[in-house]
Amino acid sequence: MTPREGAALRPQNVHGARRAHIPRPASGGESTASAHELFDRLAAADRGTPVWQALRDELVHRHLPLVHFLVRRFRGRGEPLDDLVQVATIGLIKAVDRFDPQRGIEFSTYATPTVVGEVKRHFRDRGWAIKVPRRLQENMLVVSRASAELFGLLSRAPTIAELAKKAALTEEDVLEAIESSHAYTTVSLDAELDDAAAAANPRHGVDTQAALESIEDRESLRPLLGKLDERERQIILLRFFANMTQSEIAAEVGVSQMHISRLLGRTLARLREGLGNGE
Amino acid sequence: MSTPASTSANGHPAHLDTVVLTLPASSAYLSVLRTATAGLAARLQFTLDEIEDLRIAVDEACAMLLADGESEEHDLTCRFELATDLITVTVSVSAGSPSLPSRDTFAWQVLTALAGAVDASVVDDQLTIQLTKRRGRAP
Repeated sequence: MTPREGAALRPQNVHGARRAHIPRPASGGESTASAHELFDRLAAADRGTPVWQALRDELVHRHLPLVHFLVRRFRGRGEPLDDLVQVATIGLIKAVDRFDPQRGIEFSTYATPTVVGEVKRHFRDRGWAIKVPRRLQENMLVVSRASAELFGLLSRAPTIAELAKKAALTEEDVLEAIESSHAYTTVSLDAELDDAAAAANPRHGVDTQAALESIEDRESLRPLLGKLDERERQIILLRFFANMTQSEIAAEVGVSQMHISRLLGRTLARLREGLGNGE
Repeated sequence: MSTPASTSANGHPAHLDTVVLTLPASSAYLSVLRTATAGLAARLQFTLDEIEDLRIAVDEACAMLLADGESEEHDLTCRFELATDLITVTVSVSAGSPSLPSRDTFAWQVLTALAGAVDASVVDDQLTIQLTKRRGRAP
């Protein structure tokens, strides 16, 4: 390793990542050049040519230890390490493609946010926000089920105390689970909704036109409601124009109350943003 | 103001406890208010629906306040007054020259649907929104 390479990959970044067995790309001649030289040559090469491809492969390969180092932070969060490495490598490739060696910053400095961002996005897309421990995930599911069951029994939403008893958790745990459910994010929610959409068959038709009659800013609101997806719009209309409770809407739409709550919060925030910008 | 909410400031008969939080007037701190709201409403045996509605309402009210007065230099004050079957949440912030939110807007309708009784006032440069949510049927 030349000194310049050593600088490009800071020692602490390499630490512990040597176990990676990724086959070297079959590239001739580049293996002895420094990363800086390679980046310069990559910048000079025509994109898509075999030369460019070989340089890019070599640079990606050289920085795989950085990927392994960064991915270690995300271990034990319910995703297989191999998947995370793969996702992070995509981030690395993006960084290699966008890196401008003229700007005088180290590649590792430049690449770190891109790689970490890619891994975080993966977690978001998988539905769980980062840092939701398994115990919490389980509690959320238990509370969500208990809530639906109790609603069926009581014909009203349960209290926290009732939920705690039913779920065999402390009230604190129940509150924590509800709290965390708001961190449970968008993509998987939409997936859940798509599944639920088939089962949903709303009895309560809402006359949007009439509902909006009394609202001053309806002209700004209408296009915003139009931009929501069908399910979000339905939930907003049922809650605010048909005056149904969250639990009633949950039963109607066929998803959990906690899910309705999340969607309401999220959709209102979006409407708020739109109304604010419209003024 | 004519809503029942404004009378609670004079001391609701069944008034139990008061919790006051002062935070920087920044949306970054709203999660603290949400958590406090849920925890306090749970103490009063509110149902999950009521808790979640109130939590969203507090969010909405703060968004209205911060639209005018988001600034880390100012304080957002939140006062929770707990009664046996009633919680009053009063949020206020000082803003340049705050305007009273209109009651005919969607945002106001949302607040009313979520909280029950809503009131707003401007005193000097202080914009205040008060939400009063009553517990439904006793469990």
